[in-house]
Amino acid sequence: MSPAAQHTDYNALSDEAFRAEVRAFFERHYPENLRYILRRARWQEMKDWWRMLYEKGWIAPNWPRERGGMGLDASKMLIYAEEIERHGIARPPDQGITQVGPILMQYGTAAQQTFYLPRTLSGEIIWCQGYSEPNAGSDLASLQTTAVADGGQYRVNGQKTWTTLAHDSTHMYLLARTDRQAKKQEGISFFVLDLKTPGITIRPIRNLAGHEEFCEVFFDDARLPRDALVGGLNQGWTIAKALLGFERLNIGSPRRPQYALRRLEMIARAKCLLGDSGFADRFIALKLDIEDLAALYGRFVGQVRRGEPLGPDVSVLKIWAMETWQRLTDLLVEAGAEEGVLSGVREFAGVKADILTSFYYARPATIYGGSSEIQRNILAKHVLKLPS
Amino acid sequence: MTTAEAEPPSNDHRAMLRDSVADFVARAGDVGRARRLRGNAAEYDRAVWRTMGELGWLGILVPAQHGGLGLGLAEAAIVAAGLARGLAPEPYTAAAVLAVEAIAGGDNEEFKQQHLPRVADGSLLPVLAWQERAGEIETSGGETQAAPFEGGWRIGGVKRFISGAAGADAYLVSAATEQGIALFWVERGAPGVTLEIEPLADGRHFGTLRLKDVTVRRGHLVASASVAARAVSLALDRATALCSAELVGVMTRVLDMSLEYMRTRKQFGKAIGSFQALQHRAVDLYIQRELASAVLEEVVTALDRQPDAARRALLASRAKARCAEAGLRITREAIQIHGAIGFTDEYDAGLYLKRAMVLAAWLGNAAWHRRRYSALSAKAGL
Repeated sequence: MSPAAQHTDYNALSDEAFRAEVRAFFERHYPENLRYILRRARWQEMKDWWRMLYEKGWIAPNWPRERGGMGLDASKMLIYAEEIERHGIARPPDQGITQVGPILMQYGTAAQQTFYLPRTLSGEIIWCQGYSEPNAGSDLASLQTTAVADGGQYRVNGQKTWTTLAHDSTHMYLLARTDRQAKKQEGISFFVLDLKTPGITIRPIRNLAGHEEFCEVFFDDARLPRDALVGGLNQGWTIAKALLGFERLNIGSPRRPQYALRRLEMIARAKCLLGDSGFADRFIALKLDIEDLAALYGRFVGQVRRGEPLGPDVSVLKIWAMETWQRLTDLLVEAGAEEGVLSGVREFAGVKADILTSFYYARPATIYGGSSEIQRNILAKHVLKLPS
Repeated sequence: MTTAEAEPPSNDHRAMLRDSVADFVARAGDVGRARRLRGNAAEYDRAVWRTMGELGWLGILVPAQHGGLGLGLAEAAIVAAGLARGLAPEPYTAAAVLAVEAIAGGDNEEFKQQHLPRVADGSLLPVLAWQERAGEIETSGGETQAAPFEGGWRIGGVKRFISGAAGADAYLVSAATEQGIALFWVERGAPGVTLEIEPLADGRHFGTLRLKDVTVRRGHLVASASVAARAVSLALDRATALCSAELVGVMTRVLDMSLEYMRTRKQFGKAIGSFQALQHRAVDLYIQRELASAVLEEVVTALDRQPDAARRALLASRAKARCAEAGLRITREAIQIHGAIGFTDEYDAGLYLKRAMVLAAWLGNAAWHRRRYSALSAKAGL
């Protein structure tokens, strides 16, 4: 069990004191070589940091204190997330903390909670998300992987894909079809499973940046025990949808584009580009796009701080943050000219940068977490009230 | 930070103000009134202006000791945006913001005592005459000269692009003196003063003021050379933010009109708002409006905390750069969304486009403000 967290009420601290404490800890303990990395960090790189946060009682800021979390309120959560961004701390495979934990606490049985929650905290169990399929991406509800009840077990057949860090994970949370007759959202159930179950094959997929971060996962008559089911049968869609708001706020944070902008500015300065009016015009427009993103972000943050739920309009933030980040990396490549297409970390008059990797990792930003087009559909329907 | 977040009483009074501006605009005749007054040399309605004075709106930025309410830009922005939604032709930003701030920023206390209460109640309507060349927002006084003589000053020069000049009672004229730029009060129709008005896209006018050996008495030196440059640049920055608020009012109304049209207009047997190409286009306009209103809110709040001159200019430029760009884009695309009806004079969308064009150009367009922002932020090492 995580030792410290149960005793400390961080919400009783002032925002400033809490921020100072978090910042000091991050600055003292987080490994310098893992700051601001562009790719997803692997478990091997992150496990010491995980251990350190776990021992400090800080691995699960969103979980209640009686479960070994920090029990932070919305305002403190935001500070915690801001300090992670500010220090450039890589994201560990944290879906157990952000997704599975809260879902099990709400929908899991006592036995499921007792087994999974402490092991998720300690890092003994690492989770990956089995949602997307080759024919179910943006239209997730049309997923075809099946789980068929068979003598007290579920037999799973099908294929998941774009499963981030499946090869670093021990367990998966899975959406599978349990009723073929029902309307597509209503025939889906939510399962948790051990990836060592016979019949499961994991194959990494190399991405544009040359890294193996996501995987294909094949199910060939994999047999799950009855207690792999979480919540009621055919309740999976409701369960999966319950946890979206805060993530979209995080994804819309201006930190990442701000960091990329500083790199761009340093390179532009090193290459004397700011005196070129064509470049300078585009640069300043981007800089303002990011400043204005921060203003918009601040508005949603204010809403969270006041304890108001986030509405569907938060999609605005994801679209603008990610599309602006993309345009920024486009300009970065242009600023590099011939050097902008050289692989690896290069030096521009003393400024080290990996322009291509920045460019590559901005590409899927408008695809994952609901593509920009899906976000626009959501806004058109639920905010602008346009007919379908 | 923490105090600004919880102020329900002030949010209540702001919501009430917003409602009362909306009521006022509706009762005064909304866009129909703007349509009727287009091209009219008087440009706006002084009776409506007096009513706005009685409601206290013209005195929002006038200090309480001079008969005003002594409130901030946050309140003035609500009025400006609300009036702009109905395309009211009255020169709220030009007179109740730009001119008021210039007078209040001056160092002639007696003048303030005598004139500001009348500006606040609407019986006296001054505008600022500082600009001489298109695309140049400088506060040096330009080529207009003022020379002292026994009883006061003699001024000669030409000022252009004066918004609200058509029906104004007096002009605050910037002119170079031996000590630097100063600000003078010149009354309409005074000997040597001529005003020409030029028609604008939106049916209002810019004025050109020609001053030939105009005498101004000593008591009408509104801001002496020791404070005038500062007063004018402060007034310009604050008015720029309010012009941005007008743009937000314009873009919000025209976006609402366009969305309503998309919900009701049918082609191919369906509401055109059901077509994804149009939906995504509308969402992009909505994103721009959200950005513009978020920036405006942040900038107005920050300006009300009296930042130093460099920061103030950065804030004003940020607001205008976004709001002008977004205002133009949304009003232009509103025409496209409406199709042919949007290109008719009879339909209101075009009136919003034209107002947005004038507001975007006045007090520095988006490109000008991006350049200024760039220069200032480089200087500040941001």
